[in-house]
Amino acid sequence: MSRDESKLLYAESHEWVDLVEEDGKMFGTIGLSAFALEQLNDLVYMELPEVGRELTAGEEFGEVESVKAVSPLYSPVSGKVLEVHAELPESLEKLNEDPYNFGWIVKVEVSQENNVDSLLDHVAYQKQCAESGS
Amino acid sequence: MKTRSGKVAAVIPKAGRLISIATGDAAENMAIDQALLESVTRSGVPVLRFYQWSSPTLSLGYFQSVETRADHAESADIACVRRATGGGAIVHDRELTYSISIPVPAGQAGPRFDLYRQTHAAIADSLACIGASAVPHRLTGSDSSEEANSVKFLCFQRRTAEDLIVSGYKVLGSAQRKNRTAVLQHGSLLLQSSVYAPQLPGINDLVSKQVVPEEIASLIVQCLTVRLGLQWQTDGISPQERSDAELISAERFGGLTWTNRR
Repeated sequence: MSRDESKLLYAESHEWVDLVEEDGKMFGTIGLSAFALEQLNDLVYMELPEVGRELTAGEEFGEVESVKAVSPLYSPVSGKVLEVHAELPESLEKLNEDPYNFGWIVKVEVSQENNVDSLLDHVAYQKQCAESGS
Repeated sequence: MKTRSGKVAAVIPKAGRLISIATGDAAENMAIDQALLESVTRSGVPVLRFYQWSSPTLSLGYFQSVETRADHAESADIACVRRATGGGAIVHDRELTYSISIPVPAGQAGPRFDLYRQTHAAIADSLACIGASAVPHRLTGSDSSEEANSVKFLCFQRRTAEDLIVSGYKVLGSAQRKNRTAVLQHGSLLLQSSVYAPQLPGINDLVSKQVVPEEIASLIVQCLTVRLGLQWQTDGISPQERSDAELISAERFGGLTWTNRR
């Protein structure tokens, strides 16, 4: 099923997270927004975290290179990496076409103490993008 | 002062620190650049510096595999360091390296691209003062799509939009490392062909006037003042920055674990 970008939460640094609750646990799928991808231009490299790594909200979990610039990816939530999109670094040309489905980067089990209040909903994120003037 | 810059001038203070030209080894040079990026993240004050390398050195782009050194026999025996910035490999021998770090607002990429364009425009202005006509690759009329996306080993054999071209040869290439609120951009201006990269001429091979590093660095400072609309005040590397750089060198750039990580 296609992911609805208007239902996602966003970090100021342009990562999105799709939160789903199952059996009392919270799971998050994380990717990069279409706006970020448009700003970065063509990505040529991506480094993913290892499965099992504990991520902290706001801290780096990977890196990308575009136009000779290396930029960190920041995790919008804290949690443990359950799965990484291993084929993505070899298929970055497809990322811009479908950033919210094919473009998922990692799946995490979100830690209990996680606070998502600092994340933006779609409307607030769109406002931030408009104000940044691209 | 009226500035020709847009987004960069809108986000940075009106004064920056200028650190005079110095010579260091590979790990020291890269570690100081990283320490200055972190310093700008804390202070919000831009820093510009120039440096050369105490021995001929190959710097790899952050994502390049060390195994690709086999593609360039001429530089096989010189020192090697992995940069924190992207792009292709550079032979630092008869060249001048610049480094500039500025604050950028969180979540914005515009100032980062503007920094590329304005810095390279300033260096083109500087080269014009010594009789070298340098134009960005995007204005040369060449089709850059294939070249830009190529995987050629050396940075100077690749072409992206803002690379400076003199007489058909790329003489300036730059790369960036971004964090949440600042960006480091450093780049290499080829002064003369090196025996470790004989296929690449420098500006002294392409124009009649011969330029020394101190002269071109001084011109670049003047032109960056105009392009970025800020005054550069001579300063030194602070004890805190020096201490940070020593730690970064020991943990990262000075070790084979870092250089051979891919």
